Amino acid sequence: MFLDPRAILFFGANALLLYLTMLVNSALAGWSIYLLILGPMLVFPVLYLRHQSYFICTLLTGLWVDAALPSGFGLFTVGFLFAGAFTFQMRIRFRAESNYHLTVLAHGVNFFCILLVTIAMGSAYITSLGFWLQVLVTGLASHLVLLIVAPWFFNFERMLFTLCRLEPEPEDLPIL
Amino acid sequence: MAKLRLDRIKPLVALGVFLLAWWIIPTVVKSFLKASFSEFQAPAWVATSYLDGLENFWARRSHSKVELIEAGKEVARSKSLYQFNSQRKETLENEIQRLEAILNLPSRREFRYEVARVVRRDLSAWWQQIVIRKGKDFDIPVGAAVVFSGGVVGRVVEVGALTSRVELVTSPNFRMAANFEGDERPVVYQGLPQSGFGDPLGTVRDAPQDVVASTQIPLKLVSTRLGGTFPPGLMVGRVSWLEPGSTGIFQSGEVELDARLLSLHEVAVLIPLYPIDLQNDVP
Repeated sequence: MFLDPRAILFFGANALLLYLTMLVNSALAGWSIYLLILGPMLVFPVLYLRHQSYFICTLLTGLWVDAALPSGFGLFTVGFLFAGAFTFQMRIRFRAESNYHLTVLAHGVNFFCILLVTIAMGSAYITSLGFWLQVLVTGLASHLVLLIVAPWFFNFERMLFTLCRLEPEPEDLPIL
Repeated sequence: MAKLRLDRIKPLVALGVFLLAWWIIPTVVKSFLKASFSEFQAPAWVATSYLDGLENFWARRSHSKVELIEAGKEVARSKSLYQFNSQRKETLENEIQRLEAILNLPSRREFRYEVARVVRRDLSAWWQQIVIRKGKDFDIPVGAAVVFSGGVVGRVVEVGALTSRVELVTSPNFRMAANFEGDERPVVYQGLPQSGFGDPLGTVRDAPQDVVASTQIPLKLVSTRLGGTFPPGLMVGRVSWLEPGSTGIFQSGEVELDARLLSLHEVAVLIPLYPIDLQNDVP
């Protein structure tokens, strides 16, 4: 099959996560709190899909995020594929059946995204204390919320497997 | 063995090919991709905004009749005050037109106000933007001024079919000409990276040396006609301290902006009624 149906499912779940995050951000704007929760979007496609399906799913997710956020177009597309390529090579080391490894991976990817957007968008304000203070607050808030959101999101995706009667096991992993 | 090695570097090869392709792809294609994905998402945000409106409608329906009567009385009072102000504005405008005709002054820019709901706020360390529920469907142009009851909100930076993106006055990417109230000499206003604590801030530069600001009597920074985007006299913020700038010739200082900028619900877009005529328009 050219495209694993689970890739479409993952892309839909990622779009939903982004939409919910932006709704929360919009509501929290008065308190100057911003959440950047992109890490979990990459985890399941990397661990569950064959390379072709993973690539298409991650590419679409990246383009979707780039269109939604005011960052330079292509930043998250390239960033996701970059992080995904390295994680894909190491995917044998992660156990997809429990949330522990997945959550750690989501935190890692999320940290990479925060770093990426800070370098890309904030290079002009590198000397501003206020900028770094807000980046710190954003990073801390995002990773604290991610502790709750990531396991929920992974369980939600597993529930979608069951609902859509799709294969709940990762593909292409060597048998240990 | 060779096949195994190729398999292992497959993600990196694919990444390399993609990066090369992304670098080669013309900007037109990327713009088309961005517009396509943005337009695909826009209806969801518009629907969310309408649902929000519906929620407010049902919340208001739960109010008692006594509360509604009280609110009606309040609206009636405000309406009579606004009607009086409208008449006074009309008289003053006629007077201005008469004086302009006598003095043979060049024409001023006129604007049409398009009120729009805010559907999304993206306020972070990296960007300070809002999305409003009107776009090409209401002829919103890129670069149009956006205002609210407290003064300047920002400038339209991107227009979609149903929504538009507005760069806020708090953003470091936002810059405009301004002047202090009662002083026609122009200064430069620019947004600052926000710390997230306290009210939003901006910065003012190129203020003349004889301008004095203090916490007791802060100066009001207002918009000017220069640049042609904003009508004059709109509140930008308050300046309570000025100090010599890096050149020593001019002064600079922080501008305290309206805290309501962080929780806007409704704004007005100022759409010029006619394109800028560089020969005849007042700058």
